[in-house]
Amino acid sequence: MLQWINSRFPITDLVERHLSKYPAPTNLNFWYLFGFLLIIVLVMQILTGLWLMMNYTNTAEEAFSSVEYIMRDVEYGWLLRYLHAAGASAFFVLIYLHMFRGMMYGSYQKPRELIWLGGWVTYVLLCAEGFTGYVLPWGQMSFWAAQVIISLLGSIPLVGEDLATWVRGDYLISGITLSRLFAFHVVLLPIMLIAVVFFHILALHEIGSNNPDGIDIKKHVDDDGVPLDSKPFYPYDITHDVYALGVFLLFFCAIVFFFPGGGGYILETVNFEPANPLSTPEHIVPSWYYTPYYAMLRAVDFSLFGLTAKFLGFVTMAAGIAIFAALPWLDRSPVKSIRYKGVFSKIFLAGFVVSFFVLGYLGLVPPTEIKNILAKVFTIIYFSYFLLMPIYTRLEKCKPVPERVPT
Amino acid sequence: MKLLSILLLFFTFNSFAADEYSCGSIECDEFKVNISNNADLQNGLSTYMNYCYGCHSLQYSRYKRVADDLEIPIDLYVNNLIYDGSKPGELMKISLSKEDAVNWLGAYPPDLTLEARVRKPEWIYTYLRSYYSDSSRPYGVNNLVYKNVSMPHVLEDLQSSMTENEYNKVISDLTNFLVYVSDPSSRERKQMGVYVLLFLLLFTSFAFLLYREYKKELK
Repeated sequence: MLQWINSRFPITDLVERHLSKYPAPTNLNFWYLFGFLLIIVLVMQILTGLWLMMNYTNTAEEAFSSVEYIMRDVEYGWLLRYLHAAGASAFFVLIYLHMFRGMMYGSYQKPRELIWLGGWVTYVLLCAEGFTGYVLPWGQMSFWAAQVIISLLGSIPLVGEDLATWVRGDYLISGITLSRLFAFHVVLLPIMLIAVVFFHILALHEIGSNNPDGIDIKKHVDDDGVPLDSKPFYPYDITHDVYALGVFLLFFCAIVFFFPGGGGYILETVNFEPANPLSTPEHIVPSWYYTPYYAMLRAVDFSLFGLTAKFLGFVTMAAGIAIFAALPWLDRSPVKSIRYKGVFSKIFLAGFVVSFFVLGYLGLVPPTEIKNILAKVFTIIYFSYFLLMPIYTRLEKCKPVPERVPT
Repeated sequence: MKLLSILLLFFTFNSFAADEYSCGSIECDEFKVNISNNADLQNGLSTYMNYCYGCHSLQYSRYKRVADDLEIPIDLYVNNLIYDGSKPGELMKISLSKEDAVNWLGAYPPDLTLEARVRKPEWIYTYLRSYYSDSSRPYGVNNLVYKNVSMPHVLEDLQSSMTENEYNKVISDLTNFLVYVSDPSSRERKQMGVYVLLFLLLFTSFAFLLYREYKKELK
């Protein structure tokens, strides 16, 4: 039977190449677990989303109460909703860790530029998924966050206002906007997300994983062409991944079952009030995973060359997300991993991490004069990691990378 | 327009005060949420239905769900707590119309199903115990937590006929009931969560042992 299939579709070969016999470097550490966990979370979001969709109503009149209907009248609806909401936050925690791993070990470098770009597109799509999904419960913060974000488009010179109206489908956020964001959230974006993730994994398996030392393990292979410094995915990596899954689920389920609101960070308290176009909440705050960029948006409070502050802030914010895509071409270092890079790379990477957290905090709290200055300073530090990279990676002295993985 | 300016006034006061104190013009009193005691919740429900439900709906909740969760016999519940002949399976909507409410009270009293999630339980607990007389207000009362509140002190008779401790107990039960009704599955969720975590602990232990065995093989 298997032979019959194999001669028509080489399924055994496919599974062996991509899963069971995939040669993973022997020195992979815990930073390499997040990709696997991200796939699990993606599957979980798709499944819980599918079941939520069965009972959700995408109209301005019904959306809010249909979510409460799910919470109260649908069997285990509360579980589906809490899993989906906490899943969104978990998705971002994991993807930020996964991205940081790539930055730390230079996984974006040649020949993995396309893998990195695939991952970057995934991240951008995920941001869009997060935003569109956030609007669906149609609470106060859903409404006003959508209002703020979409009105940013209005700051684009000449075409802005028309563009914003076109995206909203209305002059204000309304039921029209809600139902189109719903369509994006459940059809368009998930399809794109699955396709890009598929490409990301396929490309990775063709090229092979990087490792914490940034050593090219394909240089030394045995007679069968299997790298000497590798081990098959099954059983060595899968057992590690499943163990990691257990640990992750322990944390995740502790949150879902005991702190599903996450102290207002997973489900914001203001969002338990139905959307009301006539009353603006005191502080409009995006979800925590966007707050570093929100802080950048607010940090730019000056106009320049006849462009408004709002537009410049919008550009800065978009650039903060877009600039990750340029990393493979900004890094001129002869080595991949931070372990062998020089002191400048370490300082700038540390600066990037600190600025990401500080901006994340600043985006959450109401602005003050001091905080605005801080936001400006850390926005500069954030971008300096990227923009100065071609200079400092060439200036610094790197350590020699060993030929084989050290044991 | 008048309504709008009053609303605006509320917001400015609120935002002004919110930065300094956790409960309007004062600090919130300490309140420990406890929704494990059905007798307390039943007591809170009965206060709610008698004093609040005339104006404040619980429109996302169903009568029967509350009866089942709080273990109230359904006929007792139907005879004593459903006033408008609604069926037990119906949503807890009130008969006060928006138009009448705005004419009589100046504003439509908000639905309170999710109040305990929008505001903190200690806010509700403090708010209902912070009315004071103020002859400049239409109902002769004002509130330390919610400045120039438009709601009259509905529980005034109750408060004046009781000792302070008795009244605190009434408000405590009422607050706990509102916490319950804002997330009615929370008790079931926490029970289930214990089993889920125990299972995961077991699963992760075995997964760890398996991982360790294979790791040994690599060396």
